[in-house]
Amino acid sequence: MKKPLLLILLLFTAGLLKAQTKTDSTAVATSTDSLMKTLSAPTKGEPVIATFKATRLILSQTTETVKKKELNFLVIHRFGDIGGAAGGGKTLWGLDNSSDIYIGFEYGLTDNLNIDFGRSKAEQLIELGLKYNILHQKTDNSMPVAITLIGKTALKPYHVNTNVFDDYSNRLNYLAQAVIARKFSPALSLQVSPIFVRTNLPYPFIAGNQQNVFALSAAGRLKFSKRMGLVLDYVHPFSNFRDNSVNPNFYDGLGVGIEIETGGHVFTINFTNAEAISEFNYVTNTQSSWSKGQFRLGFTISRIFDFNKKHKSNY
Amino acid sequence: MKYIGVILLVWFATNRAGQDIYVCKNAVVTLYSKAPIEDIDARTDKGTSVLNTATGDVAFSVPIRSFKFDKALMQEHFNENYMESDKYPQATYKGKLTNKPDLSKDGTYPVTVAGTFEAHGVKQSRTIPGTITVANGTISLSSEFMVACKDHKIDIPKLVFQNIAETIKIKVTAVYSPYK
Repeated sequence: MKKPLLLILLLFTAGLLKAQTKTDSTAVATSTDSLMKTLSAPTKGEPVIATFKATRLILSQTTETVKKKELNFLVIHRFGDIGGAAGGGKTLWGLDNSSDIYIGFEYGLTDNLNIDFGRSKAEQLIELGLKYNILHQKTDNSMPVAITLIGKTALKPYHVNTNVFDDYSNRLNYLAQAVIARKFSPALSLQVSPIFVRTNLPYPFIAGNQQNVFALSAAGRLKFSKRMGLVLDYVHPFSNFRDNSVNPNFYDGLGVGIEIETGGHVFTINFTNAEAISEFNYVTNTQSSWSKGQFRLGFTISRIFDFNKKHKSNY
Repeated sequence: MKYIGVILLVWFATNRAGQDIYVCKNAVVTLYSKAPIEDIDARTDKGTSVLNTATGDVAFSVPIRSFKFDKALMQEHFNENYMESDKYPQATYKGKLTNKPDLSKDGTYPVTVAGTFEAHGVKQSRTIPGTITVANGTISLSSEFMVACKDHKIDIPKLVFQNIAETIKIKVTAVYSPYK
């Protein structure tokens, strides 16, 4: 009994379908639609792009890398204390001073691997690094985060009258960092980053200062328009010496700023208590405090130059 | 067993219309605009298209993310700032041939398609001229048309407007094969 019933049902629905396709042209349109849908359905997740607009936020590096054969030219500046003893009207709220200036170049060896070079005013530090974007966040969340690894070596080349640099290795410093970021929405991206800094001769030169410091940073960007966003950046070093030290006091680096993208440039205008720009300096040696007015205006200019050959236009 | 035969027969009968349906999974779409500082020039071969020769239905769909630019930064800005491909991943066109040439014979036939073009989430009624070419039984369709950014609410900020033209030339080419 069941089989003939099933057959009748099938014949009925089939006939109905046929009638519909003949009489109703919209039914054909929907079949074209559904065919298009099956044809153009995304097969797998694409890598998420533009988690951050630039390779830098305020203090932190982001997971972003400069793409192949692109050169990123960086100028980062920090003015003097706005308030406190060194600030106020006599220094035009810090604008007369520059606590640090950083000139940097980042070049894309591949889309994921960068070689970076930079020089700071603070400690006259020269640094050379590699940055590798090992994992990309995927649009289908098969990979929920992007991970970028950074390794750097820094050299203090300056001449001093004391004998601290008698041993050349005392001039060398190393950094290893992993940056883990997620773009939660087109507007909101957050990252956390464990950082390890090794300073062969810890600065400042105080008994008990540690050579190895582990730190954790957290940063984020919230876009309030397509080209502008609010940036927050924070770093905390885990160091008994720094926690217990009274003279000098050490503080966590904290920056807040606005990021503006204009096409080829990304500008960040920020306020931060950290005097220095390089991780080697600000992670282990931030001695100025927001609560004492020792924060400063700063900016980052990032400009991308493209050295890719143009293909011949089809037009 | 005979039931299965009957079912199959019915199934074939209802699906006979399938012979009129042609699909293309690698339609080439290029976009181009001339601007004072740098030309914008991108290409994708990931477009999909369906052509129903019986009804004259034409449909196109292109994933915005698949457009490749010479400059990676330009590609990122195209997706992130202009097309917002996170929110609007596809550009689509759905229309109907206003004249139906006899596609059983080889030849070149100018056609016009009336329909709706959707990009950046904004739908626009567009009648677009194109050419259908039949060569050795293979049907292909090509078309060239202009799209004004402001028609699709694609903002060009004053700060960078010199870099970007306000109208973009789109070129589409699809080579079809019969569906199934």
